[in-house]
Amino acid sequence: MDFNWTEDQQAFRQKLHDFLASTLPDDWEEFSKHGPASPALTEFARGFCRQLAENGMLFPHWPKEIGGEGLGPWEQQILAEVMWEWGEPRGGQYMNVNWIGPTLVKYGTEAQKAKYLPQIASGEMLWCQGFSEPDSGSDLASLRTRAVLDGDVYRVNGQKIWTSYAGLADTCFLLTRTSDDRKKGITILLVPMDTPGIVVRQIPSLIGEGDIHEVFFDDVVVPASQRFGEEGQAWEIIGFSLKNERLGIPRYHLARTALDRAVALLQEAGEFSRDAVRIEAGKCAALCEAARTANYAIVQRRVDGLDVGGESSSARYNTVMAERAVAEFIVEFVPEALTEGQPYLKMHHQRGIVAGIAAGAAEIQLNIIASDVLQLPREPR
Amino acid sequence: MLLSLTDDQNQILDFVDTLTKPYAGVPLHDTSLALTSDALDAELVEGGFLDVAAIPELGAVTAALLVEKLARLPFAVESAATALVRPLLDPELPRPLCLIEEGQLRKPVRFLKAGATVVVVGKSGVRSFTVTDDLVRDAGDEVLYAYPMAFLTAIPADVRTHDVSADEVLRAWRVGLAAESAGLLAAALQSVTTYLSERKQFGRPLATFQALRHRLAEAQVMTNGAYWLAMRAAGTGDAGDAALAALHAQEAAKRVAYDYHQFLGAMGMTLEHPLHLWTYRLKALSGELGGRGEQALAAADTLWGAAA
Ligand SMILES: Cc1cc2nc3c(=O)[nH]c(=O)nc-3n(C[C@H](O)[C@H](O)[C@H](O)COP(=O)(O)OP(=O)(O)OC[C@H]3O[C@@H](n4cnc5c(N)ncnc54)[C@H](O)[C@@H]3O)c2cc1C
Repeated sequence: MDFNWTEDQQAFRQKLHDFLASTLPDDWEEFSKHGPASPALTEFARGFCRQLAENGMLFPHWPKEIGGEGLGPWEQQILAEVMWEWGEPRGGQYMNVNWIGPTLVKYGTEAQKAKYLPQIASGEMLWCQGFSEPDSGSDLASLRTRAVLDGDVYRVNGQKIWTSYAGLADTCFLLTRTSDDRKKGITILLVPMDTPGIVVRQIPSLIGEGDIHEVFFDDVVVPASQRFGEEGQAWEIIGFSLKNERLGIPRYHLARTALDRAVALLQEAGEFSRDAVRIEAGKCAALCEAARTANYAIVQRRVDGLDVGGESSSARYNTVMAERAVAEFIVEFVPEALTEGQPYLKMHHQRGIVAGIAAGAAEIQLNIIASDVLQLPREPR
Repeated sequence: MLLSLTDDQNQILDFVDTLTKPYAGVPLHDTSLALTSDALDAELVEGGFLDVAAIPELGAVTAALLVEKLARLPFAVESAATALVRPLLDPELPRPLCLIEEGQLRKPVRFLKAGATVVVVGKSGVRSFTVTDDLVRDAGDEVLYAYPMAFLTAIPADVRTHDVSADEVLRAWRVGLAAESAGLLAAALQSVTTYLSERKQFGRPLATFQALRHRLAEAQVMTNGAYWLAMRAAGTGDAGDAALAALHAQEAAKRVAYDYHQFLGAMGMTLEHPLHLWTYRLKALSGELGGRGEQALAAADTLWGAAA
């Protein structure tokens, strides 16, 4: 084992930092207050991701054939860490990098790849993920939005909720029900968001501007060529997608960066002297670094070509613990951070409360750890 | 020992129930998290409810009971400082009362606005002054705490010194903090248990999953403890009891606030559900008086003597 980055990896990290330092506007931190899903940041991200793409920094870990640089999972992790450290200037396009892209490559038809990959690779495309419904959250397989084949089109009726970026996205990665079989009756459609019959409503939230939405589908017509995978193949495909999604967000790194900043503020105020504060800070740092190493262990599995398995839920839960501890540290010792003047710490807090919910709630992760890692018998249903 | 309510206390709490009934519902509030009501505030003042501590047959426990009850409302009311601290200073001090620790101007102050009384507690004793416009810096519209909040920019030269020890005011402050937290904890728990009993996933109410039941049950234990420690601290007037009550309240808030939002799933991120009104007040209180560590040290100092 060697816990040090290679020289190339260090240089890669430095290159990214240098690029961000020279490219992001001077008031970036204040600007990023708008939140990753806000219209302002989404608009900004379109330009910024184009610049990243031009400089080979949008998908450095993709194979060269589809527009990448052919680097590996470690570089993908470094990329994600640096972006999050800077407050994720890619906005919603991080999804393209983490899971939409890989899923298209693995499951898309040639026509779909030819249509979407270049748009994604140029840094100009924003997707949204239409999975959850009012009555189907953790129990995703109970979803009811119907797609009925009618000649060479599907007619879609139903409702999605909590859809991030829905108000601004170009295309929805939509889960629909095509038959009554719980899991094998779910089918993916790639739906342009400007299709007639789609209505989006924003939901006012605690976590920043424009983050979550309801999306209504009223007799929306989608060409059958926009089906992704076979009818009934959705469950298999999103299993692959979600694993990538869960891994792609290095929240432990954001948490650690926020913790360091909070401590710096306390030091400046001459208040990082009492044991009561220092002990809490130490505990938070331990949680962050435990989460970091747990995540790195998963990256290693990917480097080795192994299935990431239930351990990825363990790494993710560990990350949730770290985020939560740091958010609580900030509330307790730097309470001014939740008002104004510290957009970075506030952003951390707003994203921190989401960590245990989006992309599969924490309790569901615990269930996965219990069944898949500990191999415990399942709860009777 | 008598842990049941007296007839007087029952009667007062009944009055308050009736008075606050129109304020029990949550109006839609899409913009700011701080929900207040001038009308409710005026009714409480008019009824003399915030002055009960000075009435011999009612006293500090009744004041704490009222603070706890009012904290359950969706509206934020400045009751704790007025009901429990003001009687030690001067019952005529203009409300709202804003308590701050000496040397802690970096922290936002609850209810601060022009006309309020600021009470500064610390090494230089206990001092107060009426706030003027030029001393208030707005904390912006996007404050996450569900209290009205602002920053105090300076302490003016002309302040009134009160003939009471800082320790005594800190004690009462802790009682207020504990009683208010107890009410917030209870209301938040209530709203979460209601939601989980109704919300179904996997064909059954979420509340039937033991993974959630146990954590909710633990939350009940913490909430119950917070209530009784707050009442005891009000009743005994003991500094150690006050530190324990405040510590337990802040521990409980830390334990449950995150969980509750978690249990609501994405619904817990919305402004449509009122949970944040209570949890984001608890968060504001958890940073008060230095947080859990400082309350624990204060408790240990009082119980077993200061560290050598
Ligand atoms: C910021 C944000 C962005 C999101 N973006 C998207 C998006 O773009 N697209 C999309 O489709 N969805 C999105 N979601 C929705 C997200 O996927 C769901 O919130 C999540 O799957 C949980 O579902 P739920 O909110 O309905 O919670 P519920 O399923 O109602 O769960 C509520 C609570 O019960 C617990 N629980 C549920 N089942 C069990 C069990 N069996 N045992 C023990 N505990 C259990 C949960 O862990 C949770 O704590 C987003 C959510 C958030 C918060």
